[in-house]
Amino acid sequence: MNYKDLVWLGYNDLNEKRVRTALTILMIVIGVASIVALISLTEGISASIQSSLSTLGPTSILVSSAKASGFTLADTAQISALPNASTVIPILTGTATILSGSENVSATIIGISPQDLQAAVGGNVSIYEGSTYPDSASPASLIGHSIAFPSSSSGRQNIFIGSAVTALTQSGSRSTQSTIIPVSGILNSSNSLLVPVDTSVIMSMLAAQTLLHRNSFNEILIKAKNTSSVVPLANLIIQIYGSNARVIDTQEIAATAAQIVGSITVLLVVIAGISLMVAAIGIMNVMLMSVMERTHEIGIMKSLGFRNKDVMALFLFQALLVGVIGGILGIVVGAGVSYGLAAAASHASSASPSASSGQSGATVRTGPGGSGGAAAFGGGPSSSSSSGSLTFSPMLSASTIIGALIVAMLVSGAAGLYPAWRASRLEPIEALRTL
Amino acid sequence: MVDYSVRVSNVSKIYRSGDVEVKALQDISFTFKKGYFAAIVGPSGSGKSTLMNILGTIDKPSHGEVYIDGIPTSRMNGDQLADFRSRKLGFVFQAFNLINGLDAEHNAALPLFNMPLSEGERLKKADQLLVRLGLGHRLKQKPTQLSGGEQQRVAVARALVNSPALLLADEPTGNLDSRSGDEVIKLFREISSTGNVTLVMVTHNPDTTKYCDKIIYIKDGKMEKEVTR
Repeated sequence: MNYKDLVWLGYNDLNEKRVRTALTILMIVIGVASIVALISLTEGISASIQSSLSTLGPTSILVSSAKASGFTLADTAQISALPNASTVIPILTGTATILSGSENVSATIIGISPQDLQAAVGGNVSIYEGSTYPDSASPASLIGHSIAFPSSSSGRQNIFIGSAVTALTQSGSRSTQSTIIPVSGILNSSNSLLVPVDTSVIMSMLAAQTLLHRNSFNEILIKAKNTSSVVPLANLIIQIYGSNARVIDTQEIAATAAQIVGSITVLLVVIAGISLMVAAIGIMNVMLMSVMERTHEIGIMKSLGFRNKDVMALFLFQALLVGVIGGILGIVVGAGVSYGLAAAASHASSASPSASSGQSGATVRTGPGGSGGAAAFGGGPSSSSSSGSLTFSPMLSASTIIGALIVAMLVSGAAGLYPAWRASRLEPIEALRTL
Repeated sequence: MVDYSVRVSNVSKIYRSGDVEVKALQDISFTFKKGYFAAIVGPSGSGKSTLMNILGTIDKPSHGEVYIDGIPTSRMNGDQLADFRSRKLGFVFQAFNLINGLDAEHNAALPLFNMPLSEGERLKKADQLLVRLGLGHRLKQKPTQLSGGEQQRVAVARALVNSPALLLADEPTGNLDSRSGDEVIKLFREISSTGNVTLVMVTHNPDTTKYCDKIIYIKDGKMEKEVTR
């Protein structure tokens, strides 16, 4: 029997029972869409993490103070003297409430020398308008995109160059202190894993120390000379600081992130696989029903000269047709779902700073070691809302599409195998007697 | 040497259900010459349909042999029989047995599915036959859209499309009114008169055998008599 016969006969039967066919296809669509959406989302997240880490560079080591007293220049000098330490950047982070127009926005304060900014937050940070801040005690600052263009204002600009914002911080006596910060520039929206650039107010170290009432800083970013020296250098720093500091390098973050994403992927694909298995049982059930209903028809075909393999091919083709249609629709739906979820996640992420609107009073976060240390910069990918937000796009690769289609065909083909075999084994005389 | 299209030699068919044996056919022997319009006549339950199924190779005899065009059929395997049916045999059933999902021309073209012909060539052959049988305007109609007489004519076209050596018709007029039934019998006479096709019709109605060259009478699984005209 040739291809056109199979298409004609298979299509006709499916077309005759449209509702049943549609429901069978829907089962495959759900299974395939789940797999496609989950894989493209996790691949997108993984790629986004790798991209964020790559902007920081593979030689970065971040040391976060676990003590309230934080680090001093003596610490940076000590680390600079270590073998293989190329660049050592002190950073102070904390949080403050920024009055933006009529709104209060929770922001991360980052104190860092303007010369070190690119190296610290990655190469994808750029200025939307204005200029960077001076490396002095002047409180001029670069404002993150989401603070200047809050989502609650429908993306309209609330903060302008030359104006000033008011930062509310808590002093040691728990009273709220208000500080006027001139705006020197506004940053473009950017994606950084470790730093919440869009919701940050970035200024010089001295200005940040004044704002956050500190004499020290709580983070040190170190660039090793090369990738092979990252681990030995990190180990040396751990030996020096012990439990007084947390040391994390980008390679470790990348490995941990890959492991987490991999584990989540396996779990989600197993769940999606279960839905495909349910779909397979559904197809088998429908195909067995079809064989029962078409027994007489099979008898007619066999009396007209259809061989066992012709009948088997016919039913297998029908199952495969369901798989192909379901697979294609599943890929389309899965892609739609993954892009929809990514957009929703991005929207929720961009809306999150305004969630604290209306807050007043102390918002400086304390570090793990005490009340003075802020952990906004550090803590790795597992740190909470004060760490960098991650925006991502799903990655729908050709291999995912082809793989999903093959899986759909394999599942439907396997599910159709037994019914097709049963149909092919029917004796024509017995089949003809069935009505 | 006589050119027999059908030779039935000592055919018996025994059905077993546990210890019970039912002898559906007992030691049946007869021949039909090529181009004959023959009939197998008998009352309900006489075994005529069983004999028809054995002639059509969709059932096997318990004993004996059936030769179609000189070829013994009882030892062929399933695929050989399927191939044999598609090349040598045509079937017309009492209940028409058309496939409801296919239109008239695709139904009529079904036996050609394994032939080395293109889709267009197969449909063209089917269409030519349907036009000859007066169904040129019904090619795209599905069986449910056709009358009983039209459905049986589609079935006849299907039985003839592969140019069979033997056309088997099981109670072909059983589901038709008398006028349509007469038309089908006349059509069979016309087909057999070409001399290329041997036509064997099973019927319980002796009135439908008026054009037949040879009639086999069966009763209680035994051949009662044969009449050659």
